Amino acid sequence: MRLRGRVGWIVALIVTLLALAGCGREPLHQSQAYVFGTLVDISIYGESEERARELSGHVQQEFQRLHDQLHAWKAGSELDRLNAAFAAGKTAEVSPELAGMLKDATRLSEQSGGLFNPAIGHLIQLWGFHRDEFAPVRPDPSEIQKWVDVNPRMADILVENGQAASRNPAVKLDLGGYAKGWALDLAADYLRQQGVKGALVNIGGNIIAIGKHGERPWRVGIQHPRKPGPLATLELPDGWAIGTSGDYQRFFELDGQRYCHIIDPRNGQPAQGVQAVTILVPPGPHAGTLSDVASKPLFISGLAGWHKAASDMGITHALLVDEQGGPHLTRAMKQRLHFTQKNVALEELP
Amino acid sequence: MKKAMTRSIIEITTTPDDHRIARLAAIAIGLHLVESVVPSPLPGVKPGIANIITLYVLYRFDFATAAWVSLLRVVAGSLLLGSFLSPAFVLSLTGAITSLTMLFFSARLPGKWFGPVTLSILAAFAHIAGQLLIVRMWLIPHAGVAYLIPVFAAAALFFGLVNGLITARLLRDNGKLSSFSASKGLVE
Amino acid sequence: MSHWKSFPKPLPGDWLVLGISCIVVAILFATLWRNEPAGKLRIRAGDRVFATLSLDQQRTLQVPGPLGISTIVIDRGRARVASDPGRHQYCVKQGWLSKAGQVAMCLPNQVSLELLGGEKSYDSLNY
Repeated sequence: MRLRGRVGWIVALIVTLLALAGCGREPLHQSQAYVFGTLVDISIYGESEERARELSGHVQQEFQRLHDQLHAWKAGSELDRLNAAFAAGKTAEVSPELAGMLKDATRLSEQSGGLFNPAIGHLIQLWGFHRDEFAPVRPDPSEIQKWVDVNPRMADILVENGQAASRNPAVKLDLGGYAKGWALDLAADYLRQQGVKGALVNIGGNIIAIGKHGERPWRVGIQHPRKPGPLATLELPDGWAIGTSGDYQRFFELDGQRYCHIIDPRNGQPAQGVQAVTILVPPGPHAGTLSDVASKPLFISGLAGWHKAASDMGITHALLVDEQGGPHLTRAMKQRLHFTQKNVALEELP
Repeated sequence: MKKAMTRSIIEITTTPDDHRIARLAAIAIGLHLVESVVPSPLPGVKPGIANIITLYVLYRFDFATAAWVSLLRVVAGSLLLGSFLSPAFVLSLTGAITSLTMLFFSARLPGKWFGPVTLSILAAFAHIAGQLLIVRMWLIPHAGVAYLIPVFAAAALFFGLVNGLITARLLRDNGKLSSFSASKGLVE
Repeated sequence: MSHWKSFPKPLPGDWLVLGISCIVVAILFATLWRNEPAGKLRIRAGDRVFATLSLDQQRTLQVPGPLGISTIVIDRGRARVASDPGRHQYCVKQGWLSKAGQVAMCLPNQVSLELLGGEKSYDSLNY
């Protein structure tokens, strides 16, 4: 009699333990793929395995299409075709989608006071960043100056009735700082249309959030500019987007100096003095695009001008990590971030 | 004088004590086997129900008997399960030795204040401590073992408590708890 | 559970031992579980998971990608990308990964190394 009671108790315990082991099975689907020339990570919550796979697959296909269309230096892309026409002073046909992008990019370029300038493709190429593999180069200063003086701007481009031309043959389009953000908005619109309750789309580090991860908001980490872990983590509510420009993403080192792919259009040099800039953009029709575009002007403006650049771009949540690794952030940003390292010395601005 | 070589028959005479030990050991081995059939969620975490026998024997008889029963259970159990001299056997033996040592000393605690629950919990902690030491030094020489310590400690506490309560009840029902005294050879 | 009433009440000393043991267990959890160590690592090649392995071994793996072979070394609790055909060696420069959530990505060769274990503090990484 005593034995039976004991056995029954053991059985109850085991059943409980097994039931607990079954917990933790979440309806979260995660897919990773190398599309768009970078790593694309899509998390979908609350959909069946097949549906989630179908949705991610569609998004990735769209990205691949955009990638082929907007490739800055591979022959055959629509962008490359336009660039060739611009250089020759000719007119070329432009798709409505690309025309829309150009118009939007021009507006943003003006808003940033020319710091965001997708027309400086020649300068970027000069520094060797228009290749899949780039080697340290030291361009001729006079060559750099030439491309700066010739002043290629988005405003030089005229688009009318599906035709595009450039007043200035020095214009070479490189939508590297724009396309990822645009793709994020595209993906977010599509997934929302499909009725997805929760998703997180990450294109090369640029992230937009849809809905929630079940009961809790999505959480993202911000890569530390120099170490393998996150510098900080934060919640990304529905519709918010986050973007980072860093000197650790595409760079080379020459004589102990780091040269990154973010070129300052004013002097034709890779921006110096900043390790990374991270911005948050609240929900809006172009949240993704802005999260990609707006980090560049802040990065280029450096410690001296990032705060002004932020307000020019309408950004209230910004973090800048200077070349010593010291963080500077706006108050709104500070309220949202959890730094991984406690007691980190930081500068807070309104 | 040269002694003639006579064929000698070695007779082993068994005492009632031996019978008793064998019987108790058999029960302990049986429980051990039953327990080995039940899957555990985490390797190494087991209720240790055979320890109830050891503790019961300690109270009802004496330390020597308990030690015999425990060690017999470990050896015979491993032979029956086919794990004799395997790492599992070494772990089992280590646990038995350390918990017996703890029982030896904690049995000296005044019985008015400390009952089977205390001995069971202390013995359980000693048991896992010995095992974790062997694991760390020999089987998995890696700092990650530290990660397991709190889990095993919690299991030791829980199952130590439960086994102690069960033993106390068994002793009471057999009218033996009240006879826990110095005359049983537990306190010198 | 009315069963409990049929068990003898623990003695005063038993309660003391019980109490102290609970405190000890709580302290063990608090101290030893502070830094959740990584237990496993995941290697991805392209869009596929190449391997999910325990960190607790000493092993070298060759992971093929479009540019060639990336070598990953696991050393009892930590792992790193030892060599990579990519030009800039960003993933090699990340060095040893030892905590859950840490990642090294060799984008050109489409190989990535991620440490799993415990609950990750974020769903996706911004960089």
